[in-house]
Amino acid sequence: MPELGRLAVCLALLCALVSVIVSVRGALTRRGDLVRTGEHAAYAVFGLVALAVVILLRALLSHDFSLEYVAAYSSSTLPTNYVFAALWGGQKGSLLFWSFMLSLFATIVQLQNRERNRELMPWVTATLMTVAVFFLGLVTFLTDPFERLPTPAFEGADLNPLLQNYWMMIHPPSLYTGYVSASVPFAFAIAALATGRLGDQWIRSTRRWALFSWFFLSLGNLFGAMWAYEVLGWGGYWAWDPVENAAFMPWLVSTAYLHSVMIQEKKDMLRVWNMILVLLTFSLTIFGTFLTRSGVISSVHSFTQSGLGPFFIGFLLLVLLTAGGLVAYRLPELRTSGTIESFFSREAAFLFNNLILVGIAFAVFWGTVFPVLSEWVRGVKITVGPPFFNRVNAPLGLVLLVLMGIGPVIAWRRATPRNLWRAFAWPVGSALVAGVVLLVGGIPFGGAWVAFVGGVFALGTIVQEFWRGVRARQAMLHESAPRALGRLVGKNRRRYGGYIIHVGIVSIFVGIAASSVFRIEAQQTMKVGDEMRVGRYTLRYDRIDSQENGHVARTAAVLPVFVDGRQIDTLMPEKRFYKKPKQPTTEVANRSTLREDLYVVLGSYDPQTQLVTIQAYVNPLVVWIWLGGLILALGTAVAVWPTAAEREVRVVAPAGARVPVE
Amino acid sequence: MLNQRRFVISAAVIAAAVAYLVYAGIRTTSTYYFDMDEFTASKASHDNEDLRVKGWVRAGTIQWDPHTNQLAFELARQDGTEPVNVSYRGILPDMFAEGREVVVEGHYGQGMLAAKQIMTSCPSKYEPKPGAETRAGA
Repeated sequence: MPELGRLAVCLALLCALVSVIVSVRGALTRRGDLVRTGEHAAYAVFGLVALAVVILLRALLSHDFSLEYVAAYSSSTLPTNYVFAALWGGQKGSLLFWSFMLSLFATIVQLQNRERNRELMPWVTATLMTVAVFFLGLVTFLTDPFERLPTPAFEGADLNPLLQNYWMMIHPPSLYTGYVSASVPFAFAIAALATGRLGDQWIRSTRRWALFSWFFLSLGNLFGAMWAYEVLGWGGYWAWDPVENAAFMPWLVSTAYLHSVMIQEKKDMLRVWNMILVLLTFSLTIFGTFLTRSGVISSVHSFTQSGLGPFFIGFLLLVLLTAGGLVAYRLPELRTSGTIESFFSREAAFLFNNLILVGIAFAVFWGTVFPVLSEWVRGVKITVGPPFFNRVNAPLGLVLLVLMGIGPVIAWRRATPRNLWRAFAWPVGSALVAGVVLLVGGIPFGGAWVAFVGGVFALGTIVQEFWRGVRARQAMLHESAPRALGRLVGKNRRRYGGYIIHVGIVSIFVGIAASSVFRIEAQQTMKVGDEMRVGRYTLRYDRIDSQENGHVARTAAVLPVFVDGRQIDTLMPEKRFYKKPKQPTTEVANRSTLREDLYVVLGSYDPQTQLVTIQAYVNPLVVWIWLGGLILALGTAVAVWPTAAEREVRVVAPAGARVPVE
Repeated sequence: MLNQRRFVISAAVIAAAVAYLVYAGIRTTSTYYFDMDEFTASKASHDNEDLRVKGWVRAGTIQWDPHTNQLAFELARQDGTEPVNVSYRGILPDMFAEGREVVVEGHYGQGMLAAKQIMTSCPSKYEPKPGAETRAGA
């Protein structure tokens, strides 16, 4: 069986190569039959890679320890759901999985465009299959997951216990989905450049793909944060380490693109800029895969020294040179005549939003590669840590938050004073009131205060938009409020979906600001019966609770939690000792409420004396970050949902009664 | 085209602001990162500085007091030579053990490293995954 898997991968590589060559030839000679052949070859790639994935999965599930990959990342006692995680838990499997996703998306794109975009499609296919050739080439020649051991292992080494967590079941696939689907807008951009069809068509065709990719990048980042928070046990969720940054950078640039693309659709401006953002997003996804696999950046993570680095750099250079060359070649045609007329206009707000998002991406990039750069230039490795990223990104993020309130409601072209008053009187007023209330309530002026007030402002503009839209419908069409709200959103899904996403982002901002500024931390070594205080909580150490099975031994400290002398809960932070890879892990006990998390870690435990060291944190509003993610998901669903209403006749608003119509 | 110029200027202002934040951030927060060889060669000139050093926990040197959470050990090259004393107070990372490769971040002075944070790698046979490392300290 494994040999069949290897054969499937080799054939898939061959088909991908054929697809590239035939598609390009078909495009150049304008021969439809060749173009179709190229697409069929791409379908074959999908079939073959899917087969290889099934075979690898079967080997994992049947514990075929004659395979090096199976023996290295699973064991016979590994719970079945984590066996699935083992499919992407190791480098070789993850590259195969990546190829699988890519060929799946290529197939979907081709099915969507059987009758559409025929001029673009051969180039789209060729681009996607070029990426496939790269990844399948790695799987075939460098990281063969079907490699056999010289002698079959008796038992597997098991999956890293840190990865045996449900977030690891969904975090990598989300991130991969986001990464890989970014190739679709990229492929259309390349196709637009190659054919010279530089209008809106390629952008409209990939709007949903771009949003899809952005959405999964958002989820991937959030799931990663949740995983770090729940598993790593250091009380935080984001540490700015290179691997996190690798996923954050494409998200930032992708966010910028989703906004600037609206300017191109409405005003036919920023064509070059949009092109660059799409190409950059894709390049950053490749760069991100490179970071996580090469070990170039951080030696803290024991990245496998796999020698893949040069190949990724080579491919990245190929992408940048090709894309850059094409943009330079089409530059005269890409130039547009539109100019921004005023600082007080939506165009300007979007432009500033873009510059800041890209600025943050640049700062993150610079901080991430700085150790390598400094070593090249000065011969010493100099690192920057979380303080650098926080210091640079906090002010930029706060400006962005305020722009998020301004952008959606300020007038196009040039806002008049009357216009500004109408759009911002209420939001600014409520933000000022909130600011005073917060100051009186004991929140000092500072980063968190600005974040809260900015959040109220942004939220205010959104609520106002919904309110006015509903009122206008009610006044004109005599609809009930819920019905008016439903139809308002239903008829302008993209716009109101975007607003809902903004609400989620505000929630995330507030959660991050509160939990980073107002976090309380305490650490204490206790004997049985001792108490410790953290924030308004008192923890009492009652006893140790031990359990053991074949897979893992657990030691938990039993800690009743008191507030004002009344017991509200019992927390049991654990140490686990996995048997197979002899490794202890920390299991955090977290009592999560809307107001704050009480996050408790069993730092150490001494069996002789029964002494424990407890590390406890009170992290305010952390749940708001996860809730924000949920709202963001809801908004995205609203925005992408296909709707019949799109075709309906638009409501014409009489002067004065403004019904938002897109 | 007056407007166009104004926007180029404002974009440049934003770019300059980002550049300044990055520059100032790096100036105030960056630390040297040494492996044991580099550290041994240059430690005389880095007395009384914050830095990060990557090395191995020398066998037989770990002293851990569970009452006070006080840790002392020697950080050395892989073969155990050129050791330097490290002191640390706080919770031990899960993966901390004799012979392990660790990164110590802290203050170097009077021939000692006062660690603020100890980072341990996962055993090399495991794949790295986003953030797959354990931390201790703040």
